[in-house]
Amino acid sequence: MNMTTPIEQRDFKIVGKSVRRDDVLEKVTGEAEYTGDVKLSGMLHGKIKRAAIAHARIKSIDVSKALAYPGVKAVLTHENVPRVLHYGSPHPRSASCTKDQYILDDKVRFWGEGVAAVAAISEEIADEALDLIEVEYEPLPAVFEPEDAAQPGAPLIHDVGPGGNLVLDPVRINRGDVDAGFAQADFVLEGVFSGGRPHPAYMEPNVCIADWDGSNKLTFWTSTQTSFMVRGILAEVLGLPLTKVRVLVDHMGGGFGAKQDLFQHEFLCALLAKQTRRPVKMEFSRHETFVAGRSRHPCKIWLKQGFKNDGTLVARDMKLAYDSGAYGSHGPGVTIVGTTAATSLYRCENVRLEGRCVYTNTPINGAFRGYGVVQSYYALDIQMDEAAERLGMDPAELKLKNVVRAGDIAPSGHPILGHGLEICLQHGIDVLDWKKLRNRDRTPDPKRPHIRTGWGIGCEMHGSSAYPGIKEQGNATVKVNEDGTVTLLTGAAGLGTGAHTALAQIVAEELGVRFEDVGTIHGDTDVVPWDIGAFASHTTYLVGTAAKMAAGKVRTAVLERAAMKLQVSPAEIDLSEGKVFVITDPGRCMTVAQAMGPSRGIPAANIVANGTYEPTKSYSFAAHFAEVHVDTETGIVEVKRVIPVHDVGRVIHPIAAQGQIEGGIQQGIGHTLTEDYVIDKKTGRSLNAGLVDYKMPLSMDMPDIETIILEAAPDPGGPWGAKGVGEDPIIAIGPAIANAIHDAIGVRFRHYPITPEDVLKALREKAA
Amino acid sequence: MRRFEYHRADTLEQASRLLTDLGEDTFVFNGGTDLLVEIRERLRRVRNVVDIKQIPGLSDIIYDETRGLTFGALVTVGRLERLALVRQRYPNLYAAFASLGSIQVRNRATVAGNVCRASPSADTIPPLIADGAFIHIYSRTNRRVVPLAEFFTGPGKTVLAKGEIVTGITVPPAGDNSGKAYLKHGRRKAMELSTVGVAVSLTMEGGLCDDIRITLGAVGATVLRAPQAEAMLRGTSLDAATVKNAANKAMEECTPISNVRASADYRRDMVGVLTGRAIKQALEAFA
Repeated sequence: MNMTTPIEQRDFKIVGKSVRRDDVLEKVTGEAEYTGDVKLSGMLHGKIKRAAIAHARIKSIDVSKALAYPGVKAVLTHENVPRVLHYGSPHPRSASCTKDQYILDDKVRFWGEGVAAVAAISEEIADEALDLIEVEYEPLPAVFEPEDAAQPGAPLIHDVGPGGNLVLDPVRINRGDVDAGFAQADFVLEGVFSGGRPHPAYMEPNVCIADWDGSNKLTFWTSTQTSFMVRGILAEVLGLPLTKVRVLVDHMGGGFGAKQDLFQHEFLCALLAKQTRRPVKMEFSRHETFVAGRSRHPCKIWLKQGFKNDGTLVARDMKLAYDSGAYGSHGPGVTIVGTTAATSLYRCENVRLEGRCVYTNTPINGAFRGYGVVQSYYALDIQMDEAAERLGMDPAELKLKNVVRAGDIAPSGHPILGHGLEICLQHGIDVLDWKKLRNRDRTPDPKRPHIRTGWGIGCEMHGSSAYPGIKEQGNATVKVNEDGTVTLLTGAAGLGTGAHTALAQIVAEELGVRFEDVGTIHGDTDVVPWDIGAFASHTTYLVGTAAKMAAGKVRTAVLERAAMKLQVSPAEIDLSEGKVFVITDPGRCMTVAQAMGPSRGIPAANIVANGTYEPTKSYSFAAHFAEVHVDTETGIVEVKRVIPVHDVGRVIHPIAAQGQIEGGIQQGIGHTLTEDYVIDKKTGRSLNAGLVDYKMPLSMDMPDIETIILEAAPDPGGPWGAKGVGEDPIIAIGPAIANAIHDAIGVRFRHYPITPEDVLKALREKAA
Repeated sequence: MRRFEYHRADTLEQASRLLTDLGEDTFVFNGGTDLLVEIRERLRRVRNVVDIKQIPGLSDIIYDETRGLTFGALVTVGRLERLALVRQRYPNLYAAFASLGSIQVRNRATVAGNVCRASPSADTIPPLIADGAFIHIYSRTNRRVVPLAEFFTGPGKTVLAKGEIVTGITVPPAGDNSGKAYLKHGRRKAMELSTVGVAVSLTMEGGLCDDIRITLGAVGATVLRAPQAEAMLRGTSLDAATVKNAANKAMEECTPISNVRASADYRRDMVGVLTGRAIKQALEAFA
């Protein structure tokens, strides 16, 4: 452990225990209210007319038939909505974005983009009215691949931005002397890596409801990770003060990062409600979550690295090209984070990186768990395996030699305080008896001679918080009620991860009350403190620290009040499990309720405190060990066993942390083997925008997962050293699988998803 | 979801009349697991549905050693899947039933519905054809029985005329000298449409193959037989080399297409692999 700041140790009563989640009863009984469950009197239903062309100018839109259709109350087109250029990704503190979106434009930039919206008395009527809208298009030449879009003379998708279909100026990072590094190298490896377009496919499709009251105030229910960003951009685009926009979100059925944009349907819903003076609901179909939602950026990576014969890495030259789709969304953030991540993971003093993000006429790519890093670490980790092969070395040994260590500068540019990758790798090697596994008998089972088995390792590191790209701030308000119960107010969204439970655990632990006595209020921008949003694996780290700070303040106030009542000085008493007692005489005590409540001549106390925390960043680490079975006749790869070893600092809720890891592995297996949202490269049409042909692994496809969570490298920036865990597992599993496939059949894949056809084709090429 | 009219029939006669009288875009509503999804996803234009689930006499399952297994049009996939008789005597049907959709879908979907949908990738069709099943059809003027192998005319198309309704399916008895298998190839282990499905039903006599039927799913406009491959195998001991040659022949006999699920070449390759494996698995009955 490498600590520069001491982390408070204590005999934990609540933190580190898998307490019953505060939302579990409502969820299992079906009582939990999701946005789609909200029903308002007189509510209309909105639907969006989507373009069946990838790039075009709208010559005319005739909505007369739709407007005349019985039950239709309003139709919006680019001709009657405010024309305000805005960001798709609502991070106003991030300077990298270009405003490139209108609510509706006279141009279509991808197949499936909304060109008009209808509100009607039923969903069916709204849907039927869409067919009555007649749009005449002037087709424009379209580009579907970043390499084509980046060619000089390629059709331009936007008039704004740096030009040449670039979403932002190329991100360039230079450290050391790369040419001198290559000159020292004993050998150089070069490879082209590429990633498909996985889609998060959260269970709850995007949905929102807009309602304007008599004072011209908008109440807006929406399934979002960033309710304050939604409030801010809606207010800006609609020209309203923040007091006139209230955003509500209670339970969510997932988001995985993708629900942190401001979506076209959200503006349209608010405008339809305004025009009709009635509440309007808009809910995506599953098809729409694909075409109008957000997916991971497809990426192409050119990676060249120089090595010494002892395995030392001496130079890294890497170019990355991310496909943004038709709008910028999180393209800038993903490019910056994914490119800078490649300064690290495996140590190298001489690094030259160039990341680009390019517009194409395809559906929008956005934030998604593993934010740009899934792509870049897939390349780095696989090439490290290739180097081990070239050196005749055990990949575990080579990775252990090169992994990032204490004293190294993080991709964010600041020193990491809790380093855990070396520990994770070594732990997995020991637990699995890796050397023995490597040297196992590889004779195929005579009963299944077509099956080959393989083991692989994937490594990753990932930051909690988006620092330095975004200067983050976490806020919490804690109130103590007169009966001794405690209320936490937080703006952090509950995507379904159990984040609110973790925050309540932190408050109860710090304050010294029972977990059951802490209630959480969230999801109402008129009530809770400002929040940046739930993303970047930061809720427990960032908001958890703010909640701990607020709880610490109210604890002091409670102790002062109790001291007065017990007629001792605050220094003489302590507070634990809801009881205040004199340290030297624990018999002299009172409950928090007694301390807070009224007594003769003294009114009940009103104790409220805020915590505000502006962190830098912590890093979490993982090494995944995966076993695959490859069917050499069908090309099917089955992941049989995964041993994920994670370091996440102090664990707040072990079962929730384990759930994050298992879920990330499931999603990562999908990315690596079966999931790819396919866009037809001739027309731009989506070929599998639905769950029939977009193949997510299901329970039957899951391997045995034996999760190991270490608490060896806490970071002083988080509550008692806690760090993030949300994104990490999806990053390490991909290269672990690709490396295991190589171990099984001796074929090196440098792309995902690795399909059965790819495997079969490669096996035949190898045999030929 | 687009609006449609719902009609409930209490007798076959009434159902048949509704199907004739309501005109175009009228469909039988049985389990509904495919039809409702198709309406919702706008894959099928539907004005009327005729619910046949209340019609008496279509829910029976009968097994008899001479006539075999007969089940009515309303019998769900799940009911048959859970039947010990199906597991023991028709392991091919069991494999097909158990791989269709999810448990929830199977408790609602019917085998007759899966057959009438006439998808080339339907799981139940290859083993039923390989077993020589036939299908019972009602109309107001005439009842007829058609071999399942002659029932399909194209993707989603059957010999059913307007007003005709399938009332049940009969699968011939499974003798002690028979071996059966159905193998499904997909990207997932459950909730999957087959990329390729291969069924083999065979009988052995004195160590030699007396008869064999090989059917191929998702590699043609309808589920296909592989007659030339079958001919190569009859009268042989089904030794590895002969099976290999026959599997290669089956690859020539199929007519797959390329789509987002798989390429034509890959599907053809899988016909070869699965044919060999299905024959091997069918032979395990004699081990």
